[in-house]
Amino acid sequence: MASDRQVQYANDDVVDFVVVGSGAAGGVIARELSVAGFSVVVLEQGPFRTAADFTHDEIDVVFNGSLLGGPAARDAQTFRDDESKVAMPSTFRPPAEYAQTVGGSSVHFSGNFWRFRESDFQERSLLGPLSGTTFADWPITYDELEPYYARVDWEVGVSGAPGPFDAPRSKPYPMPPMPVKSSGVLLERAAEKLGLHAQPAPVAVLSKPHNGRAPCIHCGYCMGFGCETGAKSSTLATMIPQAQASGRCEIRPNSTVFNLPTSARGTVDEVLYYDADGKQQRQKARTVILSANGAETPRLLLESASAKHPDGLANSSGFVGRNLMFNCHSLANGVFSEQLNDYKSIQVTRIIHDFYESDPARGFYGGGGIDARPLFSATPILFSLAGMPPDAPAWGSEFKKLLAHNYTRQMSILGSTTSLALDRNNITLDPTHKDRWGRPALRLTYRDHDDDLAMAGFLLDRSMELFDAAGAEQSWAYPLEPQTNGAHLLGTCRMGDDPQTSVVDRYHRSHDVQNLYICDGSSFVTSGRGQPTMTIMALAFRAAEHMATAARAG
Amino acid sequence: MDGSRREFLRGSGVLAGASALRFGIPGLAALSQAACSARDAGAAFETLSAGEARELDAMAARILPSTGTPGAHDAGVIWFIDKSLGGFLAPQKDFLLGGLADFQAPVAAAFPGATQFSDLDEADQDRYLRTQDTTPFFGFVRFMTLAGMFGMASYGGNRDSAGWQLLGVDPHQHAFLPPFGHYDAAAASGDNHGE
Repeated sequence: MASDRQVQYANDDVVDFVVVGSGAAGGVIARELSVAGFSVVVLEQGPFRTAADFTHDEIDVVFNGSLLGGPAARDAQTFRDDESKVAMPSTFRPPAEYAQTVGGSSVHFSGNFWRFRESDFQERSLLGPLSGTTFADWPITYDELEPYYARVDWEVGVSGAPGPFDAPRSKPYPMPPMPVKSSGVLLERAAEKLGLHAQPAPVAVLSKPHNGRAPCIHCGYCMGFGCETGAKSSTLATMIPQAQASGRCEIRPNSTVFNLPTSARGTVDEVLYYDADGKQQRQKARTVILSANGAETPRLLLESASAKHPDGLANSSGFVGRNLMFNCHSLANGVFSEQLNDYKSIQVTRIIHDFYESDPARGFYGGGGIDARPLFSATPILFSLAGMPPDAPAWGSEFKKLLAHNYTRQMSILGSTTSLALDRNNITLDPTHKDRWGRPALRLTYRDHDDDLAMAGFLLDRSMELFDAAGAEQSWAYPLEPQTNGAHLLGTCRMGDDPQTSVVDRYHRSHDVQNLYICDGSSFVTSGRGQPTMTIMALAFRAAEHMATAARAG
Repeated sequence: MDGSRREFLRGSGVLAGASALRFGIPGLAALSQAACSARDAGAAFETLSAGEARELDAMAARILPSTGTPGAHDAGVIWFIDKSLGGFLAPQKDFLLGGLADFQAPVAAAFPGATQFSDLDEADQDRYLRTQDTTPFFGFVRFMTLAGMFGMASYGGNRDSAGWQLLGVDPHQHAFLPPFGHYDAAAASGDNHGE
C-alpha cells in the first residue's frame, strides 16, 4: 500500500497546508508545496488504489461505478433540469461524475490534454456580452498560464505534436504523438477531402518512457478505467509519489471532509472530516486548499455556512455553486468495411480544431473540437447496449451477427463544445435527500444553453459529413438532447478581480477568507472546448507557486 | 449432481467443459479449470429455482442464439444471471421474478400444450418474444444476457471467453502494438489512408 511509506501527521499538528482532494489540482499542489519544503496533508474521500488495483472489469468499473464510489455515491446526488422541479437521484450514473480514489478523476479520464487558446481567456471582450448569461473574461491571460502548461507537458507527461491552430508554446512536446489508430487515419482522410485539418491529439499518456515511467501498452482500457501500467499521466502516477517521497506530504485516503469551521478572527484553521470508520476527525492547518472538484468544492463551502457566512463560506458574492458548465457534446457513429480494431490503444489519436473559435456567421455563440474515437466500441458490454445502429434488431441471430461484424469495424466522431455560464445551472444542497453520512445530497440543476446545443448540432452535422467523406458504409447521429450528467465540473467558484462577481482572486485565494484557497475546475470562468484537465493542472502549478510565495512571506 | 441442476440440464445437452487450457495461460487455465469443475460437478443455482433458470436460459438463448458460434446458453449466461442476482443485481431480483411470472402467464393460452416459455420450440419462442420485447422485464433480461455474455468470466458467464471471441477479440491478449487495424496498417505502408 502506497500509504505505508509516507510521513504521518497527528490531527493536532498544525501543518502548513491541508489540501482537500487529490485529483488533477490537489495532486499537483500537494507535490509542489511538499517538494518546496512545506508540511502537507491531503484528505481524499476515496481509497488509495494503485496501478495494481486497476482491472479491465467492465461490470465493476462501468456498471457498478466502483471508481465513482459505487451506489452510495450515486445516491448522494440529485438532478433536475429546472429549479421549479424536485431533484431526484439517478438510477445509473451519478449526475456529477468524478472518481473517488487517490488521484481523483485524473485516474479514470481518457487523457485528452488540449491547451486553451488565447481567445478562451478573453472571449467576453472579443465577442461582447451575451444577455442572460454571466459570460466574462478570465483575470489571467494565456501568456500568463503558458509556462505552467509547459510544466504539465514535461512534469506530468503529455504526448503530442503542434497543430495548425494551436496557441504558441515555449517548449516542444516532451514525447511524440501516440501511434495513430484506424479511427484517426479515417478522420484524416475525411478532413483532407473536406478541406479541414486533422492533427495529432495531445494526450496525457506516455508514447515513450518518460520521467522513470513506462509507456502505454495500448490495452484499450482508458476511458473510465484506471491505468494498470501507470502510463496514463494521472496525479496518482506522477505527482503523488513525488509528494510522498518529499517526506513532508501525507496522503490520507478514506477521509471525507464535511465542514470548514471559521475561527473568531475569520480564518479557517481546521477542517472536519469522517475517517474510514465514519468517526469525526479534524486536521489543523495554517492554510486550507480546496481542490475537491467543481461539484464537491461548492458543496463543501455551502455546507460550511455559519453565522459569519450565512450563505456559505467564501460566498459573499453569491457565486459559490453558480455557473456550472459541463461542456456540451455531440455523437455520431460509423461502420466501415474493414476492421479498425479501435478497442485497442487510447481513445483519441486525431482531432479537428477548425471550429474551435466562435463564429458570428453561425448565428450563435460557441466553439468546439471534433475527435475520432471508439467510445462505445472500446468495451464489449457498453458496445452491445449502446453502440449498435438504430436499425439493428435488439435480439436474435441478426443482432448477434451485427455485434460480431461491427465491434471491430465501428468508430465514433465526438464533438465537444463550449458551455455558457448561467446562473440557473448550479450546485446547491438538496433539502430532502441525504448521503450516507447524513449530509444533504449534492443537488445539480442543469440545462444546456440553446447556443451550446446549437454548437453541438453544428458539430454533429460536420461529423456526419466526415463519415461520408471517410467512406463509412453506414453512419448515424445520436439524438441531441440536453445533458443530465457531466464529467466536466466547471465554473462553480470562478476566479476574478472583482469580489462582487467572483469567489477567488487571480491566485485562487478566497476574496473573503484570507487563508483559504480554491483551485480546481470550479475556478474556470469559461468552459473551453471540452477538455479541461490540462488547464486545471496548469492552474494548479501556478496557484501552488503563489501559495508557496505567500506562505514564505507569512 | 443435485436435482435442480439435473432438471436444468434436461434437454439442453451437456454444457461445454472447461477449455481454458487451450489458451495457454497456465495459472488462469488452472483457476478456471478448478472453477468449472466445481461448477459442473454439482453446484446448484444460488438464487434461482431450476424452473426460473430454465425460463431465463431459454430467453437468453433467443437473445443471443447458438448459431455457427456459441450463444448465450453455451456461454453460461444463466450462471451469470444466477450469481449476479445474489450479488450486484440483488436489488433487482424481485422485479425480475415478478416480471418473469407476468411474462409466463399468457404462454399456456397462446400455445396449447405448453405451460411455459421454455416448452416452446425456437420458432414459437421467437414469435412469443416479439410480443414481449418492449417490456422493462425483457429489457432487463437482455441487459443481463449481454453483461453475462461479455463481462469477465469471474461473474459466471462468458464461458471460454465465448463473448469476446464472438466480437473478434483475442481474450487473452491485453497489450498491443501498432498497426491496430486495417486503415492504420495501410497508411503506415504508404497507402493513402487505407484507400
